[in-house]
Amino acid sequence: MRATLGDALAGLRARRGRTALTGGGVFAASLVLGVVATAAYALATGFDRSADRSDLASVITRFDGEDRDAVDERVRVLPNLAARAYRTEITQVRLRAGGRQVHEGVVHIVGDGRRGYAIVEGRDVRARGDEAVIEAGLAREWGLGAGDRIDVGRLGSVRVVGVALSPDNVAFPLVRTARVYLSRSGLVRRFGGGDPAVNVALLWARDESRTDVLLSQARASAGGLRSLRFTTRAGVRALVEQGAGLVVALLVAFAVVAAGLAGVLLVAGGRSDVQRRLPAIGVRRALGAPPSAVVALHAAEGALVAAPAAAAGIALGGLLAAGPVSRVLEALNELAPGAGAYLALLAVLWVAVVGLVAAGTAWPAWRATRESPARLMRRGDIRVPGGRAAGAGGRPGVPGGRAAGAGGLGLLGARLVTAHRARFVALVAVLGAAAAVMLLLLALASLLTSLRDDPATLGKRYHLTASLDPRRAAAVEAIPGVSDAAPRYEVNAVSATALGSPLRLIAYPGDHARFEAAALAEGRRVARAGEAEVGAGLADAVGLRVGSILAVQPGAARELRFRVVGIVRALQDEGRVAYVRPARLTAALPFLDAPLAVRLEPGADREAVRRGLVALGAEPLFVSGATGDDRGLLDVLAGLLRLVALTVALVCLTSLVQALALTAAERRGAVATLRAAGADARALRRLLVGAALAVVAPAALLALALEGLVLAPAVERLAAGYADLPLRTGRDQIALVTIGLLVLSASASAWTVRRLLREPVVAGLREGA
Amino acid sequence: MRRPRGRGRTRREALALMGGALAWSLAGCRSDPRPGSTLAHSLVDPDGDGLLAAGPGVPLRDRTELGGGGRPRRVLARLAQVSDVHVRDAQSPARVPFLDRLGPRLGSAFRPQEALTAQVLAATVASVNDWDEADAVLLTGDLIDSAQRNELDWALALLRGGSAKPDSGSDGYTGVQSASNPDPLYYRPLVDAPRHPGLLNRALEPVRSPGLRPPWWPVLGNHDILVQGEVAPSEAIAAVATGDRLVVAPEVGLGQFAERTRLSQSEVDKLLRGGVPGDAMRVPADARRAHLSPGEAVTRLRSEAPGRPHANRDRLNYAVGVGSDLNLIVLDLVRRDAGADGLVTESTLAFLARALADTGERHVIVACHQPLDASAGGDAVLALLDADPRVAAVLAGHTHRNAIAPRRGAAGGYWLITTASIVDFPQQWRALRLIATERGGVALETWMVDHAGQPNDEDDLAGIARDLAFLDPHGGRPARAAGPPSARNVRLHLPTRQLRQPRRRRRLPALPPPSATPATAGAGDALG
Repeated sequence: MRATLGDALAGLRARRGRTALTGGGVFAASLVLGVVATAAYALATGFDRSADRSDLASVITRFDGEDRDAVDERVRVLPNLAARAYRTEITQVRLRAGGRQVHEGVVHIVGDGRRGYAIVEGRDVRARGDEAVIEAGLAREWGLGAGDRIDVGRLGSVRVVGVALSPDNVAFPLVRTARVYLSRSGLVRRFGGGDPAVNVALLWARDESRTDVLLSQARASAGGLRSLRFTTRAGVRALVEQGAGLVVALLVAFAVVAAGLAGVLLVAGGRSDVQRRLPAIGVRRALGAPPSAVVALHAAEGALVAAPAAAAGIALGGLLAAGPVSRVLEALNELAPGAGAYLALLAVLWVAVVGLVAAGTAWPAWRATRESPARLMRRGDIRVPGGRAAGAGGRPGVPGGRAAGAGGLGLLGARLVTAHRARFVALVAVLGAAAAVMLLLLALASLLTSLRDDPATLGKRYHLTASLDPRRAAAVEAIPGVSDAAPRYEVNAVSATALGSPLRLIAYPGDHARFEAAALAEGRRVARAGEAEVGAGLADAVGLRVGSILAVQPGAARELRFRVVGIVRALQDEGRVAYVRPARLTAALPFLDAPLAVRLEPGADREAVRRGLVALGAEPLFVSGATGDDRGLLDVLAGLLRLVALTVALVCLTSLVQALALTAAERRGAVATLRAAGADARALRRLLVGAALAVVAPAALLALALEGLVLAPAVERLAAGYADLPLRTGRDQIALVTIGLLVLSASASAWTVRRLLREPVVAGLREGA
Repeated sequence: MRRPRGRGRTRREALALMGGALAWSLAGCRSDPRPGSTLAHSLVDPDGDGLLAAGPGVPLRDRTELGGGGRPRRVLARLAQVSDVHVRDAQSPARVPFLDRLGPRLGSAFRPQEALTAQVLAATVASVNDWDEADAVLLTGDLIDSAQRNELDWALALLRGGSAKPDSGSDGYTGVQSASNPDPLYYRPLVDAPRHPGLLNRALEPVRSPGLRPPWWPVLGNHDILVQGEVAPSEAIAAVATGDRLVVAPEVGLGQFAERTRLSQSEVDKLLRGGVPGDAMRVPADARRAHLSPGEAVTRLRSEAPGRPHANRDRLNYAVGVGSDLNLIVLDLVRRDAGADGLVTESTLAFLARALADTGERHVIVACHQPLDASAGGDAVLALLDADPRVAAVLAGHTHRNAIAPRRGAAGGYWLITTASIVDFPQQWRALRLIATERGGVALETWMVDHAGQPNDEDDLAGIARDLAFLDPHGGRPARAAGPPSARNVRLHLPTRQLRQPRRRRRLPALPPPSATPATAGAGDALG
């Protein structure tokens, strides 16, 4: 074993250039894998990790204030109930600290029992009325920590004793509702009086998979409780997974693509290396070396090259991805994996890459050992088998001699690289696939950016909202530049058939498509009260189709029923949305507010419209793309996709350099002849740029075809479960990728020329003779 | 064929052995044992997730608060007590399922398993027959839920043997459990968890029952003759029952009014004549939902019970011998006007005195629906029993809860036993065995028996009924209706004494005046 390793190390030292090239390829592929695996793992496991750490309740029930004992009398008898805790939630509380303030603070007065949040700094509140725990987002944004003071509404200044995290909502400031936790017994002790009424019940199920039973019985026992709303752990997870799920799925898919690319490159590299060293293998075999020793030597060489390169690539990839990923997780109120988990993941990845490289080099060596030593020794590493590529009528060793004179060095380079047709096709395929993935990544990143900025991407056709009495819609429509105005009702609810499935009901009087028109996938638009268009995400989640009944539990005593007449591909709320007419909503929820949605005429003066609305007493709000909760997340995800695209570009560069180096090595004689005839570095660069372009041009065309015809439609189909993803590649992205490929060609040529010039001309001439 | 010595097994033999082993292991893994006697297996929820599974058996434990003792020597009589079956027409407009939202005062006005009561009765019959030892079966009241004629038809058909189709109105289910009902306070099998698609339609298919093999003896319960166990049938109520308007949710004001008030018969009639205000659904009208008069109910129970007990038309008071060692005295304590509580009338007290006088040297078990200690005039009955050394126990139902308490008296004492219901969790009946012990004493062995429904089996409607009853937040699980272990599988020793008739009293104990127990509805059965 030691001897094998020693031989392998000696061999690698003897071929430093080639070793460095192979190491570079492994490094690039590992970099991609490191980025993608780190991001995918952290995002895919973020919710569960945080929910477990914070002991997030299975069900969070909100209702109008009630006596705690009266509520507990109903709750404690519920089946599948492991534990329960009660809170008093007070909204619209002014929070102030360090010269900053927010008016939408939410105070949670917590009692005994389980908490449902994790303390990530300091300690939990004790039975004192002058201390508080604040949510991590608030602590981060305002720079607060244990020992600082914060003003909490009329309670005045309290001391921050800890920082808490709970993934049941995204973090401040993505939501304006910063959370502060106070002790119930502490407040009672400080201010006296009775126990305050509770309006939140946290329920922990014994068996999470049967939370629906707990929830169903909780609802059946809730007669008399007003404004009952449920949030479930499964529902929060579904939202998070559906929101980030597509991106995670894509990252995983890209990891597989990257691994495939890396595998193809490494196997091709190993094979060409073995091909080049067939005589040496023949000599070893003739001297009595068993096949296993030969195979072991090549595997050891592969592993020795891959081990440091993969470690460096994976580690760098992990480090590059960790920053953006932790920002995403912070925005989602989730915890990043611990260093141990990251290390374990990257270690597994490292073992896989090293193993792949070792296998990729051992396999062709094993195949070579099946031939006789004499035959192996007869097969050189320079001549192409059959000699067919030795030139079309040219002198042996100087292929295309006539062509060089006729078409210039660039054309000669192209002929050199295309001489080995099978390899040329494989190279074009690999580069084309990699470039197609880059195109797709860039298209996705652009889509995420437009989701953030452009409301039309979400199917929204209205431009602003105005908090005005719905009866003043006509007055708003009279403002110059306004096309349409109508009250927009929006209700957060859950499916009555799957109480863990959240959804949003949106209603307009009349045709809602004037204001919001997600693409209709099936059925027709809503035409009357009692009908609903549902997002495909919702339809998937609760098993709806055209003709079935959508049963909805809003925060009211009774459910609402709608007949599904259409299914739309809505990106809004991950497709968990239903468009209805408002009659049933307003009947069930008489005090429902509905701001006016205002649609502008093309080219309307927005500022003039805004002034007109202000004159009517409204506070107009211009509509952006994604909801406020998602903006930061979209930013970071877009950045992450661009980072992955960049690392894929590195893979392209490596494969291109390898291809050129291999071509140059195979044509050492011809290149030496050119140099002997006076070809300088510039001439060689032209030769190799021609070779690179011969690969890059068809690869770019292939990439466009692959992205447009295969990858984008595939991803669109993947997302079609809930959204209509317009993944058309833009001209700027095509230009970017093309320029990138040209830059890669130039870089690869320059790199290879430098290596060629280091070799004495005589060596090449001797082999060519 | 003999295998040659020294030769190994053939491949075919090895395969056969492996197949046998596989079949055995599959059979072993198939499922939990069929529910039955809790002496062998009990149904438990070991991890608290709301799913029942087979648990260990519960052995008998001795209770000697009244003295006695000694090991069992000989069985004198065997009884099965089945109580509070509440066979229900779940689609009847005369129901008040919305009262559950007012709290537990009226018992479970709505039960998630209420469409499956006929299936549960059939599974109970199968389970009693499985015991194969009972000399008699005692049905201690509330065989049906709301004094409707069709309910009694179904129940008697299942007890006799044959089939019953527990459907009313037109074919198909129309009631508060329909998926179209948007009121989430009702369990709707197609909407709410645990979901059972198609359950309601399956519930309305004919139910087959082998019929009780042992002779059975009925005890009258308040739900057998009073609407919802509370109010005497009247024309106004009959019009509602046979009509087409089923109230799903009353107006808020009505609920608050009913919460504060105990309604008299005239108030109920007045309310119904005006139509109960609130959300209602239309159901197909059905004349078979008409209510039974008390006399009609008594007559049918008396005439259809196998032994045709000698009771008069007004009250279902009678006595029967069970074997040569036991006399069973059945008392009718049900009010005829309104109210769920028991009431001892002078005629009932007089009948008891006569029955005791006719008992001779036999042990006595008294059976009634409402527990005596919670019935008006119950003290007078207890006073009679206290003086009689032949009395072994008083069996009752009504509370839907297992309880056993010693009653000490001048003659040594006896046991007051109430038994949980078949309709609510734990859906068990009580096996009883009167035994002679080694020291010349007597004891009453009793243990609970599950009906034959298999838990967590989508094909077993009775099993689903028990599963749902277990989850019911208004039902027997949270109410701890199964009672403490001392009220379930126990050997109840009686004081060692001579079986003799007590000296005759000159006068019967006094009953309270009728005015002290006004007839009003709203007390409800006691579960909760």
